[in-house]
Amino acid sequence: MQEKPDAADLLATAREVVLAELLPALPPEKAVAARMVAAAIALALRQSAAPPMTDARDLAMLAGEIRTGLHDPGTESHAEVAGFLRDHARARAAVSAPKALG
Amino acid sequence: MDEAALRFWLAQASGDAGLRITALTRLSGGAIQQNWALDVEVLGTPQRWVLRTDAPAVLAVSHTRPQEFALLRAAREAGVTVPEPLYLCEDAAVLGRPFFVMARIEGIAAPHRVVKDATLGGGREACVAALGRELARIHAIRPPRADLAFLGDPPADAALAAIASLRGRLDAAGTPRPVLEWGLRALERKAPAPVPPVLCHNDFRTGNIMLNAQGVAAVLDWEFAGWGDPHADLGWFCAKCWRFGQVAQEAGGIGSRAAFLAGYGLPVDSARLPWWELLATIRWAVIAADQAARHLSGQERSLELALTGHMVPELEWDVLAMAEAL
Repeated sequence: MQEKPDAADLLATAREVVLAELLPALPPEKAVAARMVAAAIALALRQSAAPPMTDARDLAMLAGEIRTGLHDPGTESHAEVAGFLRDHARARAAVSAPKALG
Repeated sequence: MDEAALRFWLAQASGDAGLRITALTRLSGGAIQQNWALDVEVLGTPQRWVLRTDAPAVLAVSHTRPQEFALLRAAREAGVTVPEPLYLCEDAAVLGRPFFVMARIEGIAAPHRVVKDATLGGGREACVAALGRELARIHAIRPPRADLAFLGDPPADAALAAIASLRGRLDAAGTPRPVLEWGLRALERKAPAPVPPVLCHNDFRTGNIMLNAQGVAAVLDWEFAGWGDPHADLGWFCAKCWRFGQVAQEAGGIGSRAAFLAGYGLPVDSARLPWWELLATIRWAVIAADQAARHLSGQERSLELALTGHMVPELEWDVLAMAEAL
């Protein structure tokens, strides 16, 4: 067993230090960099907590099929592919930009 | 930056052998270009300039500095509010790469301030109307133009050309992106008929426009300009991804779409705008993914580029909704 605190705890604690202690002490031109560090830590935390992504499909093949119109409206596969793409985008946005999902 | 070489060149270009550089500092921002604040004394008069040159890692898709200089000249002649282009140096021996010097304009371009600070732009609705007028002046520049010959021939069909270009970039990047393909395919099925080509700025959006308290101080960042469909610029400016959180303000997060289009004044086929807004969203996703790739490849390690890559899933989420509604 690894010694505690674990990665998630360390990252969350480090983020608090960046926002609460470092950011107010920094010159204004460095505030954006500090906020980016906090955002990166938050993102890494969400990614480590997210369920593992197993791509149920060959994405390269699917991309090629879509381009050639194989899943256009009116085809049998259209609704199923649309549903897969929604899940695919939602799962990634949940880590990268959860606010966007509302 | 070899300040002595720069001083010598500027002295020759300006005709003042005694020209003095009083300050030279790198400005922040500009992932593709480097901007330097350059203060000089010419014939005893202080001047405030910007020196613009390429960043070490140059995107192949952007114009060269000499081409950008020609675009600035053409825009200024057309009455667009741009910094006055002053001197162009095409001799890479001076600074290692070509550069040009233009007037330095005071103002605020930072997007999160521009969308939130109502004291900027001379009033929100007046500001977007003024931006509409700026865009109309840009679109009054029509081919053929000998001074802009480097732009090549206008595309026969700007809409289909834009789709082909983005597919080419996706292929070159090598990461399969079925959601973006889905959006591109929807665009292809519903592509609008071509209209006569105009000069498109191709990056006319909040963040690339400098405002002051009175109004528009400067339209910046001309490196992607080219012949195309004017609706492309209208859609890029209005796309949700360029509203910086102020989603209800459909014109760049600043004001209303109606005021912007009223300022624009030229006939607009508003049915085309959702098409170009979807294209804009996909284009930004492709650019964002490319920016992350620059970080990942080690070409330019940067936290900003790394985080930009994480905008792609949100953009894809929007692409699905927009494609559905098209």
